[in-house]
Amino acid sequence: MDTIENASRRKFLVSSASGLALGFTLTDPLGITRAEAAATDTTVTSWLRIGTDNSITLTVGASEMGQGSFFGLAQILAEDLLVDYARIRTEQGQPSLSNPAPVGASLNTVGSSIIRRNFWAFRDAAAAAREMLLEAGMNRFGDHDRSHYGITDGVIIHQPSGSQLTYGQVAADAALLTPPASPPLVPDRFLKIIGRSVTRPDIPQKVDGSAVYGLDVRLPNMVYAVVRHCPNFGGTLLGTPSVPSGMLAVVPLKVAAGTGRGTEKTDAFNAVAVVGPNTWDTWQAARRLGVSWTLPANAAQLNDAQFLADAQNLVTNAVPYQAGGANPPGTLYTVEASAVDANAQIAGAAKVVDATYTLPYVAHACMEVLNCTVDYVAGEKCDIYAPTQSARNVLSLAVALTGLAPSQITVHTTFLGGGLGRKAETDFVSQAIQIGMAIQRPVKLTWPREEDFTRDQYRPMALVHARAGLDSAGRIVGWKYRNISPSILGQRGIPLGARGDSQGYEASDELPYDFGSRLTEYVTHPSPIPVGFWRSVGASINTFCVESMMDELAAAAGFDPYQYRRALLTDPRWITILDAAATLGNWNSPVPAGTARGIAIGAAFDSIVAQVVEISGTSTSFSVRRVSVTIDSYLHVNPQSVEAQITGGVVHGLNAALYGRQTFSNGAAQARNFNRSRMIRLNEMPQVDVALKPGPSQTDRTQIIGGVGELGVPTLAPALANAYFRLTGIRVRSLPFFPGATMGEIE
Amino acid sequence: MPTYTLNINGNDHTVTVQDGNMPLLWVLRDIVGLTGTKYGCGIEVCGACSVMVNGQRELSCDFDVSSAVGKRIVTIEGLSADRSHPAQQAWIENQVPQCGYCQSGMLVTVAAAMNAGHHGNQIASELRNLCVCGTYQRIKQAIQKL
Ligand code: FES
Ligand code: FES
Repeated sequence: MDTIENASRRKFLVSSASGLALGFTLTDPLGITRAEAAATDTTVTSWLRIGTDNSITLTVGASEMGQGSFFGLAQILAEDLLVDYARIRTEQGQPSLSNPAPVGASLNTVGSSIIRRNFWAFRDAAAAAREMLLEAGMNRFGDHDRSHYGITDGVIIHQPSGSQLTYGQVAADAALLTPPASPPLVPDRFLKIIGRSVTRPDIPQKVDGSAVYGLDVRLPNMVYAVVRHCPNFGGTLLGTPSVPSGMLAVVPLKVAAGTGRGTEKTDAFNAVAVVGPNTWDTWQAARRLGVSWTLPANAAQLNDAQFLADAQNLVTNAVPYQAGGANPPGTLYTVEASAVDANAQIAGAAKVVDATYTLPYVAHACMEVLNCTVDYVAGEKCDIYAPTQSARNVLSLAVALTGLAPSQITVHTTFLGGGLGRKAETDFVSQAIQIGMAIQRPVKLTWPREEDFTRDQYRPMALVHARAGLDSAGRIVGWKYRNISPSILGQRGIPLGARGDSQGYEASDELPYDFGSRLTEYVTHPSPIPVGFWRSVGASINTFCVESMMDELAAAAGFDPYQYRRALLTDPRWITILDAAATLGNWNSPVPAGTARGIAIGAAFDSIVAQVVEISGTSTSFSVRRVSVTIDSYLHVNPQSVEAQITGGVVHGLNAALYGRQTFSNGAAQARNFNRSRMIRLNEMPQVDVALKPGPSQTDRTQIIGGVGELGVPTLAPALANAYFRLTGIRVRSLPFFPGATMGEIE
Repeated sequence: MPTYTLNINGNDHTVTVQDGNMPLLWVLRDIVGLTGTKYGCGIEVCGACSVMVNGQRELSCDFDVSSAVGKRIVTIEGLSADRSHPAQQAWIENQVPQCGYCQSGMLVTVAAAMNAGHHGNQIASELRNLCVCGTYQRIKQAIQKL
């Protein structure tokens, strides 16, 4: 196996087993996942294989949870390899902790990152493989004049003779060649596959029931486990209950190192699993099981009224960050501050607008509940079948729990019935491994929906205090913004720097508005309720508050909210996207009585997005009629897939803005199923129009490619609240619109 | 332990369960081994578990196995042998699924509505199944032509 390094320091590995196999390094999507992964885990790899049988296989470790990026990668490859996209077979790679990884290793599928972070790596790899295959072909023909050759769908044509060789025929020869350092990419004007809406290969198996999700895994001799957690966060198991009749085992479950957040401490027993012959009987036995729990000393403080009171207190009483200090929860971090003192500017302003926004905890509620199947044989092997967004973290966790060598562990990443950030966590996997080790027999662990809702790692609650000063012409002279929320990174033991939690303040800093002066702050809220990454993370919170506040300022200044933003924006890309949204959403055309539009703009994951939301009705009952979205993510590999992601994100944002809320009493989550946590059904679906605004070139490496998967979410809530204000004159500063909304049975 | 004979997708299956109250959903998934029918909520709210019983849509998470005896049960696997059911075709043509987890239930529900002689917008107005991925817009498009 040779390793060479090209100009951009991206390594290719060449392997010659039955054809040409090119391995290449992919980018870890987020620094934080690297921090979480084992220190030895430094290489992620993907393999492109051209078989002597003329097959083309892509092995990649990204997870497919409906976003389609798995296939977007194949699409990128097809372009520079000069083959039909449909010929590329994609397969799931195995994660690896070794360096270099032996097989296509795994990425963590988070941060809307799969396409954008790996676009160039895939184009380079495909181009390198194509050049090697062509060179091998030229050697065969004994003619090294490149102008004599053409390539059509993986067939090398020697034009003078009319002879042809397939990639498969030269694959073995190509494997002996050195990959070129800077293989040329297909120029923009010849692009045929990138930027085209191709059909997704996973669709057929998702319409006939054959797609295998984690919950569908069935192994020979498999038994079924159902988890029951302490209903109160922070509670622990008091003694192991005896095995109910008809059941096989009761296994106490502890919090594995690295999987517990907030209240859930490493090695604490916070749950118990019942093991039995099938899901239903086992679930009933788990429900009936007499279990005693010890509640934590602070249980009485773990409720919404206390969380709100703590947040309100921190509006004025937070303690400033100290370099090298302990900086406990309640610490005030300065995210950014202009040289001109914003407080002084606001104090001297002609008009001051002050607003406090609150957002609740929100569950992920993936359509497929958490689950994991494990086949463990002591000293021999541990096979893990999981709907996971982070196969590598699963592998390092399994090594730690079982003591087996990485080579004895196999992680099978199944389809995910939604991930939404929740399946990047590994708490459920650690439980399945513990059960597998206890009973030494293949076992599938299922979380009933009630456990899934009540033992989530929620989108953090937040209280945001915003204050701005306007001059007599309505211009902003000072902007002050303080986000108070529990820290996602803090709960993962990742030290916060002087600016606080990037996941908490993202989308509140570096806003391209002319604020005159600004002070952006972040305060860690002390609530220990477990929090985590929820589709679009901090942007889902901050964009609501920032863009609601911008609307309040426009109203205070007496301007049209679109024109007001437009006048204050300093980034031409933002202005282009805002204008496009206004046009798509008919901002300037009159609305009938009882109808209103709202607008919002924001950025996340290096993309810019704007929305116009149109609603009709009254203050107590309205329908969302239309959502118009424009997005600039620099390039779009599969526009139809992007449109699906944005539309899905709009629904996700709508579910949260209208209804999403988890509440707590004594640390116990109150909404236990969909009936108490409403989401929209088809009859509430607005018309969604999406316009993509790609950048000018697909081959300019200096441009930053933006993410797509989470981008429909952040601007929905503010655009909705802004529309509601224009409809009713009422400013909604607290989400959701309809707290406690329920959802009835279907029939 | 009672034993029942169930007619599923045209074939008879004999199943033995602890008691006749076990929901059809879990009999299908864990005992018969047909995992296309999904568990979403277990309380008749989401529709992921939809199957047809004598041509009508039933929520299998709340349908006792004992009540299914002597009836024709059709699951997503039995909608067609080759994805040729018009609803499946429309789903493929419109590239409806994202994660896909809810789509078995969606398709079975739509197929049952078609059985009842319903079409297009009428089916859309009846379809209450939950899709957390938010594929409703493409579902509406796909249903238009049915
Ligand atoms: S699982 Fe039956 S309706 Fe949700
Ligand atoms: S496609 Fe994922 S829940 Fe509907």
